[in-house]
Amino acid sequence: MVSQTVGTDELLAALAEPGQIAALSHLSRDPGFTPDVKALAKYPCLRTGTAEDILRFRPDLVLAAAYTAPETLTLLRRAKVTLVVLDRFETLADLYDSARRIGAALGRPERAEELIRQWQGRVAALDQKLRGLKPVRVLAVGLYPFTAGAGTTFQDLCDHAGALNVASEQGIRGHQPTPNEKVLNWKVDMLVTDQGEGMRDKLKAMPPYKFMEALRKGRLVEIPGPLMSATGQARLDAFECLARALHPEAFR
Amino acid sequence: MRGRAGLILGLILAGAVVLSLVLGDSNLGASQLLQALLGRGDELNRTILWDLRLPRTLVGVAVGAGLAASGVTMQAFFRNPLASPGLLGVSAGGALGAVAVLAAAGLMTGGLALGGTAGFLAVPLAAIAGAFLATGAVMALARRGAGPEHLLLSGVALNAFFGAGTSFLLALSAGKFEVSGQILFWLMGGIENRTWEHVAIGLPGILVGCVLLLPLGRPMNLLSLGEPAAQSLGVDVKRLRWQLIALSTVLTALATAVGGVVGFVGLLVPHLLRLAFGPDHRRLLPLSMVGGAALVLLCDLPTRFVPGGLRLGVVTALIGGPFLLWMLRRNPC
Amino acid sequence: MLTRPAQAGSVLSASGLTLGSRLRDLSVRLEGGCTVAVVGPNGAGKSTLLQVLAGLLQARGAISWNGRDLARIPFLERGRELTWLGQESHAEFAFPVRDVVAQGRHAWGDDGVGVEAAMATLDLVHLSARPITELSGGERRRVFLARALATGAPLQLWDEPTASLDVRHGLEVLKLAKDLAAAGSTLMVSLHDLRTAFRFDQVMVLDQGRLVGFGPPGAILTPELIEAVFRVKVSPEPGLALELP
Repeated sequence: MVSQTVGTDELLAALAEPGQIAALSHLSRDPGFTPDVKALAKYPCLRTGTAEDILRFRPDLVLAAAYTAPETLTLLRRAKVTLVVLDRFETLADLYDSARRIGAALGRPERAEELIRQWQGRVAALDQKLRGLKPVRVLAVGLYPFTAGAGTTFQDLCDHAGALNVASEQGIRGHQPTPNEKVLNWKVDMLVTDQGEGMRDKLKAMPPYKFMEALRKGRLVEIPGPLMSATGQARLDAFECLARALHPEAFR
Repeated sequence: MRGRAGLILGLILAGAVVLSLVLGDSNLGASQLLQALLGRGDELNRTILWDLRLPRTLVGVAVGAGLAASGVTMQAFFRNPLASPGLLGVSAGGALGAVAVLAAAGLMTGGLALGGTAGFLAVPLAAIAGAFLATGAVMALARRGAGPEHLLLSGVALNAFFGAGTSFLLALSAGKFEVSGQILFWLMGGIENRTWEHVAIGLPGILVGCVLLLPLGRPMNLLSLGEPAAQSLGVDVKRLRWQLIALSTVLTALATAVGGVVGFVGLLVPHLLRLAFGPDHRRLLPLSMVGGAALVLLCDLPTRFVPGGLRLGVVTALIGGPFLLWMLRRNPC
Repeated sequence: MLTRPAQAGSVLSASGLTLGSRLRDLSVRLEGGCTVAVVGPNGAGKSTLLQVLAGLLQARGAISWNGRDLARIPFLERGRELTWLGQESHAEFAFPVRDVVAQGRHAWGDDGVGVEAAMATLDLVHLSARPITELSGGERRRVFLARALATGAPLQLWDEPTASLDVRHGLEVLKLAKDLAAAGSTLMVSLHDLRTAFRFDQVMVLDQGRLVGFGPPGAILTPELIEAVFRVKVSPEPGLALELP
């Protein structure tokens, strides 16, 4: 089996037996995208992600995403490789669905169900801790002037970490440029960003963030990058990480 | 050296074709190549050769020959050795078409992938549509007898217009990095993941265009030294202009549709070959077609080994620029 | 020689030529075997007239070559009947001299009949393999003249052929024109130098797009006319008369 996209790397690693994995995507060794680089580094990885690159591993099954180049998918199909194309990554439900599909393709459906039960357990435990607590109003910020609205993994993160995504409240869908002036009027309690050296200072120097009350009061939460953008099961770690940061009193 | 020009370039092209079939993510040895060609041997090698390497090589040949032939034609038409296929706005039109489809697909969940074969064909077909839109505008002007100066200006206008549209779509897609990545990659040109459908779209048209251009070599010689004089010597200048424009724009459109925006080939190859072998278009045209095909294939080789950043258009520019400067220093003419 | 015998009757005639303000109702009729100088002040329409007669510019009025309506003559045939030589000698691409001169044979479809002779006449044999872009302005002029000659067309329209040529080569071109006319061709040459016009059989004087005189130079180029058209005074003066040895 070959995983062509970073979103499927972790799922494949969790669901498959080690011997079933032929190669992971070229981002599997990139700590900026992959939470557990050490664990995945022991598998070979792709170089360019083209059909030829994938075929040299002689896979029976390839996991790809909907945004993979369509020519690649066509060429793989012509080479008589089974293809599983995953097109939804945003919510927790999508994760369970992807896990089931991959598990079925691998011939290990019971392993998929086992993992899903574990995950549901973690989510339920987290929900329990957060019950009754008022959601914190948050906004996703970063060095690029974009924010994440409804229908993104960030939204899913908020939904399970006791947070309210101000951007989606304001009607933003998907990843959009942060509205420069409107954002100053929004009521935001906490800013959420990915971890980076001197992030706080860098954001303090950037308009419009530097004018935001939340930042001036230092209310910024930093989440490790690979967790912020996690589409696989690492998102559960992200839930817990953000929840702890927003509701420290629930975890004492 | 002049007399053997065809032989030398032909050998270079043959070598480039062989390398293009052999090298890649899994290098095929000589015997493996032979076996695969004959339909025997390892099934994976056969798939790699027939479904991956051959279409890629053929598309590379078509793109290189088409762009180089178009470049020669532009340079004769504008009586300027610095003219290139992109001058008239045709490749910009093609770019807009392709980028529009990529951006639209990125907005839908599932995008092009779920459309299967039809899905990925949308990009080159949209590129042809966009390029032919530009071509139509240019040909309408040419038919009315517009000369080089008019067409140059209309090219500036079309390039600006299509370029603005492309930038706009690129900015719209900036939030989804996979889509903007695909767009940028397309704008830098490339022939990886080419299929037999791409070959069907690009090769026959380009082949026909090149063949139709060849007999125009002699009148092009006259045209390139001045239009009124050429007319006085017996050339139907208005008709020739129209033929040259039509063929050049079609070649550029098809090459852009299947190879993305590959710069420099149309400027560099005719220029270099003219410096080396003289400006007689009867020879320059076929030599450029062969040379262009070889150049594209050779520039494609490094992209197979450097993951991510190295795109065909980048390689042609990186190699082409300094080489042209070097040749000009030796022979400022 | 390189030309064909002239036909009886007018070889080049035009009537009512009008092009905006550049040519006004101009009519002309030329017989075979003569040289015609076209003179006039700047902007008089000399170049325009030559281009219109050659079919390179569209003007109102009727033009016929050898009795045939110009509009009906196919392009390729025109190349065999009349050759036009422009004022510019610009060359953008480095064709060897011989190749350029051979271009004159385009309308005949061959690649070399008379090319060597044309080059010899214009003293270009030693430059035969040189790229035209490496030549001086005067040498380039001679190359394009040789090309015009190589066509073998009996009608030759030359726009300031001796500009940028040195004294000797200028005289040789004039002799060439005379020899061609003697063999039956008709040459129409636009000039700036009035004194040279006296060496021609006929002279055509243009002023602001109109024809103000046509006939033998002795009769037409009177001091009165010259003063009226060119606004200079004529007075006899001792000077150099230059001839070929």
